[in-house]
Amino acid sequence: MLEIQNLTKIYEDGTLALDDVSFTVEDGEFLVVIGLSGSGKSTLLRCINRLVEPTSGRVIWDGEDITAASQEELRKIRRQIGMIFQQFNLVKRSSVMTNVLSGRLGYVNPWLSLAHQFPREERERAMHNLELVGIAGKAQNRADELSGGQQQRVGIARALMQNPKLMLADEPVASLDPATSHSVLKYIEHLNRDQGVTVLCSLHFLSLARRYGTRIIALKAGQIVFDGLPEEIDDHRFKEIYGEEAVQVEVR
Amino acid sequence: MVDEKDIAEETDPNRSPALASLLSLIVPGAGQLYLGERSRGLSFLGAAVILVGLLTWLDMSLLYIGLLPFWLWNAWDARQQAQGRQPSFVLGFVLIAVVVYAIGWQVTEISVLKLVEGVPRIQPVVASLLKPDVVTRDVEVMEAIHIFESPCSGSPPAVAQPKVDAPYLITEPTCADVDETITVRGGNFPPSRTGELWWENPIGQASRLRARGEFVNFETDAQGQFSQQIAVPDVVPESGQHGPQIHEIKPRVSTPVGSPHASETFWLVVRRVGETIAQALMATTLGILLAVPVSFFSARNLMAVNPVGTAVYYVTRTLLNILRSVEPLIMAIVFVVWVGLGPFAGVLALVAHSIAALGKLYSEAIESIDPGPIEAVSATGANRAQVVVYAVLPQVLPPFVAFSIYRWDINVRMSTILGFVGGGGIGFLLQQWIRLSDYNEAGTAIWAIAIVVTILDYASAQVRERIV
Ligand SMILES: Nc1ncnc2c1ncn2[C@@H]1O[C@H](COP(=O)(O)OP(=O)(O)OP(=O)(O)O)[C@@H](O)[C@H]1O
Ligand SMILES: [Mg+2]
Repeated sequence: MLEIQNLTKIYEDGTLALDDVSFTVEDGEFLVVIGLSGSGKSTLLRCINRLVEPTSGRVIWDGEDITAASQEELRKIRRQIGMIFQQFNLVKRSSVMTNVLSGRLGYVNPWLSLAHQFPREERERAMHNLELVGIAGKAQNRADELSGGQQQRVGIARALMQNPKLMLADEPVASLDPATSHSVLKYIEHLNRDQGVTVLCSLHFLSLARRYGTRIIALKAGQIVFDGLPEEIDDHRFKEIYGEEAVQVEVR
Repeated sequence: MVDEKDIAEETDPNRSPALASLLSLIVPGAGQLYLGERSRGLSFLGAAVILVGLLTWLDMSLLYIGLLPFWLWNAWDARQQAQGRQPSFVLGFVLIAVVVYAIGWQVTEISVLKLVEGVPRIQPVVASLLKPDVVTRDVEVMEAIHIFESPCSGSPPAVAQPKVDAPYLITEPTCADVDETITVRGGNFPPSRTGELWWENPIGQASRLRARGEFVNFETDAQGQFSQQIAVPDVVPESGQHGPQIHEIKPRVSTPVGSPHASETFWLVVRRVGETIAQALMATTLGILLAVPVSFFSARNLMAVNPVGTAVYYVTRTLLNILRSVEPLIMAIVFVVWVGLGPFAGVLALVAHSIAALGKLYSEAIESIDPGPIEAVSATGANRAQVVVYAVLPQVLPPFVAFSIYRWDINVRMSTILGFVGGGGIGFLLQQWIRLSDYNEAGTAIWAIAIVVTILDYASAQVRERIV
């Protein structure tokens, strides 16, 4: 169970990105975070694994206070939380295999890993995860030789290396075309349904949020303006979240 | 709004074209200033002051005439302005440029005449440079000796007899005064060859005989004999005061023997080229090793996270900029004073320059890394060292390698001339030979530099292609 308690983030320049946000995520949920650009979605996800340090408030996961963890404890927590990014954040000049293996760095012998030495079973695990996302054939390619959709699948395979209990996905499909978006989201859905991974995913399109989310949270100027089931978002709610002029765009 | 005001000013009846041009004729730019054209007036005035000042200071009064077109144009410009027109500045700019280039021509003493006049002087030099001293053959020298007295005493040396089995020389007479002609006859030399005549004075200084500036040679006949008239040379300073003295005359025939082999010059050059490459290698390696930590201190994204870091960043950057602006040749002069003549001083100069240049390039590579992968790898629970190895190094290593190879190329070139100021390497030999007018030897060094630099350039281009 993930508990967010009174989370507030004020950036150095004074921007109030999160304003006293509280909610709870049960194990096994597929929680979608929606909201306008700049509403604080990325900030929220990054505060959970402390890529961004919250200004105040607490993040408690399975009874452990992430916000109070030491650097060493934080590393132990982080390795159980997978994260995938809008820009994929692969090391472009490294091979697909190396990128995937880097997801396992929190578990393996740190000294051997510095010399790029991984045990055989870790290499097999990497191969297996690449097969899961359907690009085992590209293992030896350089990451920047892959298409955007393929790169995001490498990003997922890298996160899978962590055997995550929680997956944070920050607009994982925002730079992909609709068909590829669905295939990527289906991998995440598969993780959620078949392996019981809790998912926190921010999305731009309400149609995608409705299709994949088991629950939706909407942010507006750093505050939660909606928290409920996908089907509860009617036209009125939609305008509340996205503003009066917004029109719904479908991604099929 | 602005336009209306300008037009109102331009059509102001108080602004007389005649007065404006007169003012500008007296002091360039004054007319424009009077018309309220401040920047135009000030730049004309500035240009005139600077040019007149330069011409006066450099004592080039003749060039004042060159200033005349600009002066007149500036007066015409004032008149045009007063009449509400805006003539283009281009013509004035060209007229100023003409004077500036005329000054530059004078200052740098450009002279086509000298270029033509010097051709006879440079021809033999170029010819020698094109004939590097690389291969020689050993020579076997056949020599005879005959003693000779000059001036004559009462008892001159006895006339020698022809030998049977060795080269010999006979002179008649066996004594004479300076400039008197004597006959020398020799035999038992190799047949049909050209030989040299050497003359050794009483204190053992030998020199080749000359007649009217040309060396005196002899030709042997089919029996290996020759006969030649020579004038007794003046080889003893103030010979008249010394009385009769004994000299030695030595005819000499040299025969190349054995197969061609590398000359002494060649081996000298090889040794120094090796030293040059070693200098470049040491300097590049040490430069890289020191530039890496320095580059971390001068990377804004790493350092500008707190005030102390920011201060370190600015200090390092400034030091690097100053260091980089000093040419390695000048640094070498300083280091020669510091550690003495030799290759070490050259290495230090190159190291200092390499740190400055690489430090800047490396830090720019660090500044341009993508933070995304660093976040992603940190988010997996990797420790700091792992983040550096997996997310930072793959991003900075290729540019680091490319810059380092480029630096190596530059260091190879620089190390070839550091010897000119005592910094070791091939340049040391080169400047020595040039100073002694040993152009064949200098040519050898120049060829060696050209060949080595070309080969190393090619090699590093290949490496660069593979890696980057
Ligand atoms: N590093 C930062 N420094 C200062 N302000 C920031 C920083 N990162 C984000 N912000 C600000 O915080 C607010 C929330 O940003 P955030 O990136 O969380 O929004 P978002 O909902 O993810 O937007 P998008 O849909 O465009 O990704 C914005 O106003 C943004 O300008
Ligand atoms: Mg975002």
